[in-house]
Amino acid sequence: MRYKTRHVTRYRYEATVSQCHSEVRLAPRHLAWQRVLESSIQTEPEAASFQDHADYFGNDVTSFTILESHDVFTTTATSLVQVDERPAVTDGGMAWETVRQDLAGHARPDLLKAFEFSLSSPFVPCDPALADYARISFTTGRPIADASMDLMRRIHGDFRYEPKTTSVDTPLIEAFRSRRGVCQDFAHVMVGALRSLGLAARYVSGYLRSGALVGAEASHAWVAVFVPGAGWLELDPTNNVRPGIGHVTLAWGRDYGDVTPVKGIALGGGQQIVEVEVRVEPA
Amino acid sequence: MTNAAVSSKDPRLAGWTYGPPSAEHWDEAFDASGHPRPHWRRLAASLRRMGAQEFSHRWDAGQRLIQANGVTYNVYGDPRGTARPWPMDLVPLALDGDEWTRIEQAVVQRATLLNAILADLYGPQRLVGGGLIPAELVFGNPSFLRPCHGIVPPKGVFLHSYAADLARAPNGDWWVIADRTQAPSGAGYAIENRMVSARTLPLVLDQCRVEPLHGFFEATINALFTLAPPKGREPRVVVMTAGPNSETYFEHSFFARQWDFPLVSGDDLTVRDGHVYLKTLAGLNPVDVILRRLDDEYCDPLELRGDSLLGVPGLLQAVRAGNVSVANALGSGLVESPALMAFLPALSRHLLGESLRMPSVATWWCGQDAPRQQVLSRLEHLVIKPTFPRFGQYSEFPASMQVAERQDLAARVEANPARFVAQEQVDLSTTPTHTHRGLEARHVVLRVIAGWNGTSYAVLPGGLARVATGRKSIVVSMQSGGGSKDTWVLGRPRTDVPDLRTPAPRTDYVTSTELSSRMADNLFWLGRYAERLDASARLTRVLLTGLSGEPDLRRDDAVDTSAHYLRGLDLLPKEHRHPSVRQWWTFQRLLTDMTLDSQSATSIGWNLAQVRRLSWEVKERLSPDTWRVLQQITGLFSEPAPGNYDRRVVAALARLDDVVIMLSAFAGLLAENPTRGHGWRFLAIGRRLERAAQVLELLRVGVAQAPYPDDPYLEVLLQVADSSTTYRSRYLTAIRTRYVLELLYADDGNPRSVAFQLAALADLIEGLPRHERDAAAAQTPESTLARNLVRFIGTAAIDDLKRRDADQTRPALDAHLREIKAGVANLAGAIAARYLSHSVTSRLRAI
Repeated sequence: MRYKTRHVTRYRYEATVSQCHSEVRLAPRHLAWQRVLESSIQTEPEAASFQDHADYFGNDVTSFTILESHDVFTTTATSLVQVDERPAVTDGGMAWETVRQDLAGHARPDLLKAFEFSLSSPFVPCDPALADYARISFTTGRPIADASMDLMRRIHGDFRYEPKTTSVDTPLIEAFRSRRGVCQDFAHVMVGALRSLGLAARYVSGYLRSGALVGAEASHAWVAVFVPGAGWLELDPTNNVRPGIGHVTLAWGRDYGDVTPVKGIALGGGQQIVEVEVRVEPA
Repeated sequence: MTNAAVSSKDPRLAGWTYGPPSAEHWDEAFDASGHPRPHWRRLAASLRRMGAQEFSHRWDAGQRLIQANGVTYNVYGDPRGTARPWPMDLVPLALDGDEWTRIEQAVVQRATLLNAILADLYGPQRLVGGGLIPAELVFGNPSFLRPCHGIVPPKGVFLHSYAADLARAPNGDWWVIADRTQAPSGAGYAIENRMVSARTLPLVLDQCRVEPLHGFFEATINALFTLAPPKGREPRVVVMTAGPNSETYFEHSFFARQWDFPLVSGDDLTVRDGHVYLKTLAGLNPVDVILRRLDDEYCDPLELRGDSLLGVPGLLQAVRAGNVSVANALGSGLVESPALMAFLPALSRHLLGESLRMPSVATWWCGQDAPRQQVLSRLEHLVIKPTFPRFGQYSEFPASMQVAERQDLAARVEANPARFVAQEQVDLSTTPTHTHRGLEARHVVLRVIAGWNGTSYAVLPGGLARVATGRKSIVVSMQSGGGSKDTWVLGRPRTDVPDLRTPAPRTDYVTSTELSSRMADNLFWLGRYAERLDASARLTRVLLTGLSGEPDLRRDDAVDTSAHYLRGLDLLPKEHRHPSVRQWWTFQRLLTDMTLDSQSATSIGWNLAQVRRLSWEVKERLSPDTWRVLQQITGLFSEPAPGNYDRRVVAALARLDDVVIMLSAFAGLLAENPTRGHGWRFLAIGRRLERAAQVLELLRVGVAQAPYPDDPYLEVLLQVADSSTTYRSRYLTAIRTRYVLELLYADDGNPRSVAFQLAALADLIEGLPRHERDAAAAQTPESTLARNLVRFIGTAAIDDLKRRDADQTRPALDAHLREIKAGVANLAGAIAARYLSHSVTSRLRAI
């Protein structure tokens, strides 16, 4: 499936901004099942300089500085991307406890790399309450993929999708207790539940094909759980689906903090209003 | 040599008592039989010759020197909120040269090792893959800064400076108890301690042939320059601080002044196109090396810590591009975890092919099963520490815990084993320390400081000894109120470095060309507040003196004039406005309270607090003498005021006299400053603007609004403006309004007149740097504003202005003075807008 994506982020400031340093993670990742044919980032006012680099997790980062005084700042990311079916990730019946044990020993390079995603991170602290919640799905000897999908189904059932009830600063445990939030919270809860059992889980940011599923009007987030020998099994707890050709991958990391789409430090500004608009349409 | 040095029987040595050291601890000075150790003999003999009484005098002199030099240490959460004087005990810690050589080698090895570990962890991470460092100590460590991964600092130097805290066990062996790899403090304090020793014990220092410290700084600062990215010009180095509230701000300011590096905070720097620049009055100046004195997490709010706005947005981008070097490298806090100590012996063999020269205190990381079992089985003998210390997390001592507490701790360890480290409790050695009871044994920890010298590490031959507060205390920390000592390395052959006695004299303190806009702003406000303080102290002094005269008619006049001035200047509290309280004693009390109560928001207390705050901000821009004068002014009011009413009045008058005289000294030192740089210029502009505003206010209240007859009001005015003598010598007549206006308003030859201030301002503004955009114009807008004000005064018709209306007021003068005051305010605003404007940084909301 080939898509044209367009992601507009607009900041309206109360006070004039004289200068702004920003970094964005808005370019789709190059993956075996995802080909990026075109990708561009534009800003208004125009940035003085652009610099690109890959971050610690291999995501493309674009940094830029705006030196022109402005009251409104807009960044527009567009791309043309080909998304194919993901390769199957099968666990071969491997019990989740075996995975936990392998990760704890991290004796192979792939396990060591995955181990990093089994530890607490700034937005996702491990917590006994999350472990208890997860354990209902992770019964003794249950294969990891099966148990993970059950956890995804339960989160989708137990949590209400309610925009504006949480913000990025809402602690994970609060969203967990109130059983509601947006895709970010769904993903953080699931990542936290998996890690609290000693499993490795990633937070993935991306887009949904417009119209089909919940969370397509802004950037979306889902989860990937590590299955030794097979790779990362992606799961979208907001929609209770396994991501397929409708999910465009932008970036991944330990949590939202590692993949924040737009970050910036402005000189001036004061109060701000943010507007986001995402369109993902077949091309 | 016998133990005569510790005998109390010899009357000449009264006070030189030193209790026999406890057998459970090693004593640095005396062996178990009470004899001085060989390397202490010469020192003990010198001190004995001096005598305890003389030593006490020297000790006091040392304390005064510390106070005068403003050597301080900020204590977090100190309710007084002020910098504490640096606690230093003049009795040095002496170490034998051969022993020092071994310490030196061990610390060099450790710095080299930790640098190699950082190079691996921020690079290929082979040590983690190879199992030499547990993965969790890296990936679970909040000090592992992922955005810094893959950045190789110039010459591979992650640690430009490193410090190890050492303790000596009862058998005489040294242990490393802590590693400091972020921005280790101590070198500046060590050098300051040495200067105090040199000034107060010059002969002893000489007789003992103490190894000098100077060479270390020469070598490590030169090496710092070689870390600059090659740009074909002299590299520019800046010292970056989090500001005057930082724990060791004194040291930041000290380094900046010692080597003439600009002292900057994050908002003095800006990143443009991947390069770092210092924002100065003359424009942007490129920066090549940043000597950071704040933790790495706070250095770039864009890529590092998300909850702080300190630092320079985009800094990491400039570092990544190789356009600026930061020392120590960002991310170097990673190897400070005490857990790492458990793995250093194997790491040393693996990376350096050597065994560790000095052991760390025995350490177990509870994240591994076998060590954890060992720890839990003998918890009460160990100290439990957080693996990744964050602010507000402390060591726990199971030995002094109740059973239930200990069980709770064990349960917490079991629940989150990786977060805990256990260490053997160290028996610190003791060393003689001066107390009011004579010499007493105090536990000591030695901070040894290493710096990269271009090829390897150099070690500061002395370091910073820190002693515990009490006899029993084993907690040695500046934060908990311990003391420090100069450390003397004795008996090594001299190298050819010059001795360090006093810092190289600098003459251009206020004039250095690299003036940041923030510093200009601080100097400008220091000038304004100092002048405001001067004005309120002078007025209060004149009024209070008038009220404290003989009980005659003049004293009644004084009540009226005081009420008039205080009310006109908006300083009269409501409860004093009613005529029934217009008694001389109520006003005497009011003015006394205004002077002595530093807490109240009266003009004197408030202005004093501002002068104190700003003097710290600009410390490294002032000459030592100027700084001392400012310290004395603010110090005047830190002593408690007497409670007795009569004594309060006397104390208030004395303090007001002192303030006025010291502010004159401050002004004199500034006037004598040999060069006129922009820093000096902003200070002067602040003073002139403020003095113009203050005199205008006095003229408005004391002339334009003065009731008829106005003689007593004019008399006060002349006294406040220090112009009584001038008036009498010039006019030889009773006080006349016209002449007073001439003298204090229009006469551009009187340094207290408005005209004089404005003429001076016009000249000062001419000398300010011009921005490119007005290079073509003959005059800057500020310059035009100032010239217009001077012209406006020149054309004022004093005879018309002084005329009273039918109802005895002077509306024409009042309006005229208000107009010119608005003009002065306008000028101040224009200068601030052009040179000193600041914007507040904000973070883009994440969604």
